[in-house]
Amino acid sequence: MIVANYLVAGVVFGLGVVVILTRRNLVKIVMGLSLVESSCYLLLLSMAYRRGSTAPVLLGPPKGNSEQGLATGNVADPVLQNICLTAIVIGVAVTAVLLVTVVRIAQHYRTLDADRVRDLCG
Amino acid sequence: MRTLVGWVLGGATAGVLALGVVDLPREGAGLPQIAREALRVALPQWHTTEPVSEVVYGTRAFDTFGETFLLLAAVVSVLLLGRHRERRREYFGEEEAGKEEQQYENPGDEPVGPSERSAREADARESGGRPAAAVTPDAEKVGTAAPEPAWGMTAVVRLAVRWVVPVLAVAGLYLMLQGYSPGGGFPAGVVLVGLVLLVYAGFGYRRIARVVRPGPLEVVELIGALLVIVVLALGFLRGSFGANWLPLAPERTFRSGGTMQAFSAAELIEVGTGLTIVIFSILAVRHDWTPANPDDSDGKDEQ
Repeated sequence: MIVANYLVAGVVFGLGVVVILTRRNLVKIVMGLSLVESSCYLLLLSMAYRRGSTAPVLLGPPKGNSEQGLATGNVADPVLQNICLTAIVIGVAVTAVLLVTVVRIAQHYRTLDADRVRDLCG
Repeated sequence: MRTLVGWVLGGATAGVLALGVVDLPREGAGLPQIAREALRVALPQWHTTEPVSEVVYGTRAFDTFGETFLLLAAVVSVLLLGRHRERRREYFGEEEAGKEEQQYENPGDEPVGPSERSAREADARESGGRPAAAVTPDAEKVGTAAPEPAWGMTAVVRLAVRWVVPVLAVAGLYLMLQGYSPGGGFPAGVVLVGLVLLVYAGFGYRRIARVVRPGPLEVVELIGALLVIVVLALGFLRGSFGANWLPLAPERTFRSGGTMQAFSAAELIEVGTGLTIVIFSILAVRHDWTPANPDDSDGKDEQ
């Protein structure tokens, strides 16, 4: 029942959105964004899964099968695993930039409360 | 109110996503065409047993190319946002240059009376042995460093770090060299960053200060980025950006993936130095650009 994984990914995404919308602490907002990112990793890896499949490694084929035979056999999707790898690196990069921005905001306004950061407001 | 709206919108997002994801291909579906193609060409065209690495550095190299420069852009942003006051590299002589104007504005300090003198002495006594800041900007030493709070840890931790670091270094390089691990250079680079952090935590910044400095690290990072461009651009010789132009060794050897391995090594440099720069510039965001001004009465400083 891989569809349960899909639904959990959707729920985690929603929870991330809730955190971003309801919390005022900037660090918590960044954590909410990380939650949204994580839900994407879960969805990508779940979509790569196939019932009874092996890892996409063309090594040590079972008896009566060649290594090239594995390529046409039942394996998990390597492209989605690659996309997940890419997503993780991008997630790290975005989180780092956001955290530095938060540190600067905290130093400038002496607060982490998003409601008190109002200099752009009129 | 905010909580209510947040939960309603978050729930709505989750609901819409749930409606979307139930239609996605499930575990019983066949692999998409692109995945089959990647699996099919991994052995004959790239001589690698690792299709995920082959996708990362081979068939979808352009994605990884974009990702690399996104990472580089993030590193540059972190450096820009987190930069602190630059160190003095040379003698500027502000005081000397501004002497005349200063004399005109401020013809001379008032003579210090006995009460003022004793007050100053008391202040100096109370502020303890803290080294006073340089009297004038010109007197500040060239290359003075900020005080470093991260000292080394106990002998137990230091010994453990000494034992673990070579093992981790070999493991990280193995991940990249063998190319068996999905991703190759990416996880390897992160392992090497972890190694730097271990040494930092165990021995304090002083022990790694000679290596982990923004100056050399930035150069190495840009060399990594340049290598990525060169490796991929030379693929034009074989027809397309990112095509393999290196001779292929038999699979399960160091050079089995052709340009895959070169790209992976460049990625190791890029990720390793990039994340090190990011982590240490976040750790070093110490200098506060906004001085706490006691006269600022609009309430900003209360927290």
